Amino acid sequence: MSRDARGWRIALVSDVLVNPPVQIRTRLPEVLGVLESSGYGMLQLPPPGEHRLLLAVIADQLEEYAHHGYAVVAIGLRQEQGSGLHWRRLAPLLRHRGVALPLRHIVDSQVDAALEARRLATQLASYDLPKSEQLRWRV
Amino acid sequence: MEQKTPRKVALVANCLLNQNAKVCEGARYPGLVSPVVEALRSRGYELLQLPCPELSFAGARRWWAVYEQYDTPAYRSHCRRLAQAIAPLIERHLRQGDEVILIGLDGSPSTGVRFTSSKPDWGGRPNRPQDDWEIVPGRGIWIEELEAELARRGLPSVPATGWALDMGRLDEPGSRRDLEQFLDSREESERRRDDDSGAP
Repeated sequence: MSRDARGWRIALVSDVLVNPPVQIRTRLPEVLGVLESSGYGMLQLPPPGEHRLLLAVIADQLEEYAHHGYAVVAIGLRQEQGSGLHWRRLAPLLRHRGVALPLRHIVDSQVDAALEARRLATQLASYDLPKSEQLRWRV
Repeated sequence: MEQKTPRKVALVANCLLNQNAKVCEGARYPGLVSPVVEALRSRGYELLQLPCPELSFAGARRWWAVYEQYDTPAYRSHCRRLAQAIAPLIERHLRQGDEVILIGLDGSPSTGVRFTSSKPDWGGRPNRPQDDWEIVPGRGIWIEELEAELARRGLPSVPATGWALDMGRLDEPGSRRDLEQFLDSREESERRRDDDSGAP
């Protein structure tokens, strides 16, 4: 796949961090900017509410990635119910598909946004599959 | 956290926010297609990422294909399931009067908006660079099924354009200008609509 530029790393991101409301925007790190500079793709989770079918669709995509050499991390916001990750519903869907639950990185809006951005960038930079898995798939 | 003023919402093709969804050899960025994200966010659009129908149907290691190869009952049925999954979110925005637009992927057999890829007699083993599909005007299968689902719900059609990622050689500056023109024309027509509705 020599001409292919994919980064092989994906972040599952809570909606509030993709589309932060004006009232709290300045208190949050610019998550999409951090993803971009870290070479991550994004899978956006829906806003709070019942999204049974959509979460199943997202779980199907995560299964495909998890079984073919992609590293997946989940990024939520502490101040949201369930960190905005729909974990109570998503976790069983993933387990049912034989997918290990992604590492969760939780952003805190009570902490300085620049510090949180650096903490996220550091986490993303160091996160990946074991070398053996990378070599198996990423050719 | 609901806001009372109408919001601007962009339905965005999955791979414009996640290049890992592309076919083998099709990714042009590591993750986000940043010019698209910048153009939308700088104009105040919220992002609503669409699912990728090809990834969950044909898999992460699929080859490229043309419209006619994906035009099967099973693939259309799969696209309808995905459309039913995302449509409630789109419907909520449209019913509350938000401005909704769609940014697809021109040249894609699934997510093409203005153009899709075509070769009715294509089949068998891919053979790049000899493969010579054609770019023809028209929607991809996924966009057709998504629009059909929105119409079934009695919703108005959504203004749409495509980022020219699957049109052959990627002309990023040209694609950016094209997208910005589309977004600016939307702003202009929204402004005119506001002026008209405020007229005595």
